[in-house]
Amino acid sequence: LKREIKKIISAVWVGIICLVFSSRLSTMKAASICPNDQTGCHLLPLANLFDRVIQHSARMHGISDDLHSEFELYFLPSKNQIGRVSRNCHTSTILTPNGKENAQRIAREELAEIILKLLVAWRDPLWHFHQSMSQHDEFTNFSSNKSLEMSDMVHELRKGVLKVVEKMQMLGIISNSVGDTGSPEALLTSDSAEWRFMKDYDLLYCFRRDSNKIQNYLKILKCRIVPKHGC
Amino acid sequence: MRKAEGGILLRLLLLFMLHATGTSYSPPGKPTLTRCRSPEKETFTCWWEPGSDGGLPTKYALYYRKENSDKVFECPDYRTAGENSCFFNKNDTSVWVNYNITVVATNALGRTFSDPVDIDVVYIVKPNPPENLALTVLWDQTWPYLHVSWESPQKADTRSGWITLIYELRIKLEDEDEWEEHPAGQQKTFNIFSLCSGGKYLVQVRCKPDHGFWSEWSSSQYVKVPEYFNREKSMWVLAVIFSAFALFIITWLIHMNCHNLKQCILPSVPGPKIKGFDEQLLKDGKSMDAFSSLVGANFPPTTTNYEDLLVEYLEVFVPEERELMLEETKELHNDSLKFENSTSDCDSGRGSCDSHTLLIDKSEEEKGQQPDQQSSEIKMDGKGQDEEDKYLTCSPENVDSHQLSSEKVKTWPSSFSPLPEYSPIPLQQPNSHETSKQPCLSDSLFAAGPLPSHFPHLGHNTKDEIGSSYWQFGISNKQLHLLHQQMEAHQQLQAHKNASVSNIGHLQLPSVRFTEYVEVQRVSDQNMVILHPVPSHPETSYPDWHQTEEYSKVKCVDNDNGLLLLQREGVEEGMDMCSYEELPESDPSKTTNTTFTSPCSQPAPSVQDERVVGGYVETSVFTLPTY
Repeated sequence: LKREIKKIISAVWVGIICLVFSSRLSTMKAASICPNDQTGCHLLPLANLFDRVIQHSARMHGISDDLHSEFELYFLPSKNQIGRVSRNCHTSTILTPNGKENAQRIAREELAEIILKLLVAWRDPLWHFHQSMSQHDEFTNFSSNKSLEMSDMVHELRKGVLKVVEKMQMLGIISNSVGDTGSPEALLTSDSAEWRFMKDYDLLYCFRRDSNKIQNYLKILKCRIVPKHGC
Repeated sequence: MRKAEGGILLRLLLLFMLHATGTSYSPPGKPTLTRCRSPEKETFTCWWEPGSDGGLPTKYALYYRKENSDKVFECPDYRTAGENSCFFNKNDTSVWVNYNITVVATNALGRTFSDPVDIDVVYIVKPNPPENLALTVLWDQTWPYLHVSWESPQKADTRSGWITLIYELRIKLEDEDEWEEHPAGQQKTFNIFSLCSGGKYLVQVRCKPDHGFWSEWSSSQYVKVPEYFNREKSMWVLAVIFSAFALFIITWLIHMNCHNLKQCILPSVPGPKIKGFDEQLLKDGKSMDAFSSLVGANFPPTTTNYEDLLVEYLEVFVPEERELMLEETKELHNDSLKFENSTSDCDSGRGSCDSHTLLIDKSEEEKGQQPDQQSSEIKMDGKGQDEEDKYLTCSPENVDSHQLSSEKVKTWPSSFSPLPEYSPIPLQQPNSHETSKQPCLSDSLFAAGPLPSHFPHLGHNTKDEIGSSYWQFGISNKQLHLLHQQMEAHQQLQAHKNASVSNIGHLQLPSVRFTEYVEVQRVSDQNMVILHPVPSHPETSYPDWHQTEEYSKVKCVDNDNGLLLLQREGVEEGMDMCSYEELPESDPSKTTNTTFTSPCSQPAPSVQDERVVGGYVETSVFTLPTY
């Protein structure tokens, strides 16, 4: 009899808790972020999305910067070489604006697409970079963790940017031409060979720059699309 | 060709001329690129440091190469940025492109290349300081605070998101040297609280791009904070004063009650006290005596009941034959020896404990129990005196009540049978007789009183009775009682008793070795105590003494109410059966008083007769009651 009573009591508790939560959830659903249709209010979630993505890219760039300076300490590539051919980043085929005016001049969709291209282009090289780093004994655990984090972040950032683009497309800010899953894949296959010949240090150098580009482009994009939210 | 020839000729001429003047010339020293900076990530400037010019006019040129291109360009603008600088305008600046820059110094004698430098514009951004720094004093209820606002440098384009700047401001009072720095993030306003009332502040602000260099500090802005009442501060001041005051009071209280607190916190350690231990003896040097009292009288301490220690006793030594006789007599008078508590009324000052009572009586049981103890029994030879039984039952605590029968008086053993003796003696009497104990003092005192005067008689009677023995009076207290018998309260008596008891203990010490016991055979009607020697216990007595010592007579009573007895010479065995006389029931106080107060100048009449019954009396016993 005691057992039955306990069961009943626990069931009652569970029921109460469920009721409470469901009521809460329902209230949450009912409320919207923009009760009134104020100007720009409906863009708030987009601005938040942008902020998050930008933060993510900033972090990614920070890690790459750290790794690069670490590499410089240990490897010290000779700077006295005049006319070295080095640093032909595999992403140089992607045309990117090299100045403010250029960046502001191109279309939003194009900018978004450039960002995505860059992110896709670095997915595999970073993974292999991490692999090679973990194999070498001279790298500390800290560095190998960073490289792993870096390669993960590229994945995450791409997903985040895709989400932003999706949101923008939903809101009608940009056309639907962006974010075709097909084109990044095509790009990837064509460039697959080049980065394998790059040295680790050059790889880091290129990625450091590209992550900076990504961050900057995202900022420009944000301030073009949602200028009133922190620009 | 001509140009080249002309150039060579010119150079040669130059050299010749220079050589003719006598100075030395050399190719220029190596220039160095000191830094390159971009204020807004759209243009940048490079500065170099020239080396030695070699004494000749030297020209400097900057060449650069862009990434992955072998094309060499020269600096487009040498002037805009000043001396030894190269300015790259927007058209020539490419971000995220690696520039390889070299400076060349040229003079008549040669060229020198500087070390090449790789730069990327993104990483050399150093913005201009923020502009339009504004300070305002605003009020939050009653407290002012400083509202600082500024704007980003004009050239840096933060609006388009091309550059992201983070700011930092610093503030200090005009007189101070140390700045107080506050990072402000990306915001362009800042609030500073906790201002000094009436203070003059300086504020500066600077900025930095997310990957770049800090700008210079902006020019200082001044602000004066108006006077205001700092409630918080005054509250703190009050609190401090109050607590200081409270502390002061507490300290003063502690100081006043220093002593009490000391007692409370650090109570005085009680000094060691050993019952029966006389430090004075130790100081006097009689260490053996001091310690022996511990061993004997006070160890093991069986009871703290001081009444146990109230022992009035008389130790008498009787030789063995005598004891046998006494035993006989004792048995005869067993009845009389019983405690008759009811009949005794041992109130101090009352006459119930009459003069015929003698000193301490030891119970029969006690005697039976501890035959080995030195129980001095002063027994009255109770021949045919049954009908005249008068006895006093006086019992100090744990000591059997004094029985004074007409025929037998028992005294309490003293030194040889020290305190432990007392305790085992069962208190035969009910508590009602505890009160009677005190009067027993008086009784004993009474008893003691008449004794001296009658010693000669005793001596006569008991001439051949005894080996000498000590006759000890535990009389000190008794004597006192005699003196003050009229007024003593019980407690006083008790006190005296207690004191005397301890004294008794002391008393006994010196005489331990020497005590022997006499047995009071009877108390004569003239308040005379007839003593018979009692054979002392072989363990505690010195057999030798039996042989050698004899009873003595009381010589006198000295000033200290001591009985001075003369030692008898020679050995006398056997005792005559003395004639027993009853002690008259006179007022013992009178007699005793008179007796005791008389100085020793009044000797006993029978001084001459030294062959007196009695033992050697330790005079120190009598002199003890000096409390």
